[in-house]
Amino acid sequence: MISGRNGSRLRPRAQDQHDQTREGSSAYRRFRLGTLCLGLVMVGTTGCSSIKAPVPKDPDALAEYKAANDPYEPLNRKVFNMTMKFDKWALRPVAKAYVWAVPRPVRNSLGNMITTMNEPSVFFNDVGAGKPRRAGDSFVRWCINMTVGIGGLIDVAKMAGYPHHDNDAGLTMANWGISSGPYLFLPMGPSSFRDGIGYGIDQGLSPWDYVPRGYGLVSFNWAYNMMGVVHGRSEHLEDLDALQRDALDPYATIRSAYQQQRKAQAEAIKNDHRATVPDWYQ
Amino acid sequence: MKLLSGRRIVLATLALTCASGLFALPARAADNAKQFIQSFGNQLVAVVNSPVPLAEKKTKVLPLVQKNVDIDGIGRYCLGRYWKIATAEQKQHYLTLFHQVLVNAITDKLGEYRGVSFTIGDVSKVGSEDSVSATLVRPQQPPAAMQWIVSYDSGKPQVVDVIGEGASLRLTQRNDYSSFIARNGGNVDTLLSALQKQLDRHAQPAD
Repeated sequence: MISGRNGSRLRPRAQDQHDQTREGSSAYRRFRLGTLCLGLVMVGTTGCSSIKAPVPKDPDALAEYKAANDPYEPLNRKVFNMTMKFDKWALRPVAKAYVWAVPRPVRNSLGNMITTMNEPSVFFNDVGAGKPRRAGDSFVRWCINMTVGIGGLIDVAKMAGYPHHDNDAGLTMANWGISSGPYLFLPMGPSSFRDGIGYGIDQGLSPWDYVPRGYGLVSFNWAYNMMGVVHGRSEHLEDLDALQRDALDPYATIRSAYQQQRKAQAEAIKNDHRATVPDWYQ
Repeated sequence: MKLLSGRRIVLATLALTCASGLFALPARAADNAKQFIQSFGNQLVAVVNSPVPLAEKKTKVLPLVQKNVDIDGIGRYCLGRYWKIATAEQKQHYLTLFHQVLVNAITDKLGEYRGVSFTIGDVSKVGSEDSVSATLVRPQQPPAAMQWIVSYDSGKPQVVDVIGEGASLRLTQRNDYSSFIARNGGNVDTLLSALQKQLDRHAQPAD
């Protein structure tokens, strides 16, 4: 973006003074780049106090700081507070209205559909993690539920002995031995450097992003994503209410629970050594 | 010679008993943990499923919890590094408050469930503690898998932690408390007053 703007500014001058300008333009560009870098560094250093938490000196406090793995806590807390405000005034009321308006069996069906639609992403991640049995399960789930299960509304695969399992690119990378990196609280919830990147990869793995325009599929994609957010929130109405009521520091509680859960999920995938061939074949 | 052989026999028997005792110990501990969770769980489920009002359920569950859960141990764990710097008075006050907070947390759950059953899975050793996996089945809800951590530190088997969806309740609680204290100038008294406030708030709507 910056080089593009520079280019358009410098082009007329370059036509007048050929040799000199080439040198001059590069010097100018260097200068601009240098200023920009300096600016960034200054913003970085002055902004650090509000982004990065000071490292404690007391050994016990330091151990706790390291265990929390949250050097960007001040920034994360800001995002957390903003997200919670948005949740309080927008998402939670919508989720409550959804629970009030839509009967449980219908909600369960929609939940099944959302889970099934995400199955391709789970499949690619299972393959990526080198777990053929899990990949087979998610593939079969997708095939059965999209056909017999009427586009995923009925979880027939579960009845047939293929229950859903979670997987995402963050967990796949964890299985490759990539550590989580510092904790991050993103607007969509608790995350980490690794899981945040994984979230982006998962968006790319969803086949709905590749549907051609028209056919109403793009609006379906939007509806599906919005639905997923509202439905997901509606499943945790009581948990989050209880957490906000009982926790003295909800931010720290969510951070701790999230980090433990991710670790356990990654371990569960790693320790899944089930045979690839089905039971009846053996 | 006769005496020696006699002594030998005695020693050999002693050694054998010790060895068999040693070998049998882990298996027995695992069985113990399983039996303990089975009986504690059965008692809890019996109360939860009984057709009595909620208040009565709470009074019935209280002695069960006090007997089978190492509340003091969990309390000490949850205060984390601040246990070392807390005064004796603070510690005592904290444990009293923590008792009530934990009992409230457990008894609050009672009203939510009915028609509950549970199954016990395998037992594994985690350090000096046993981890018993169990699955709670509630009507119209997906089954919840959890691990009960049983410790023998107090001389008898007692629950010291529950792990649900990979998250240890006591560790999460400890991080909550220590973060709260750290953000309030490292003063344990702020935690005590916050817990007191929590208890007061809890008492209000119920009565």
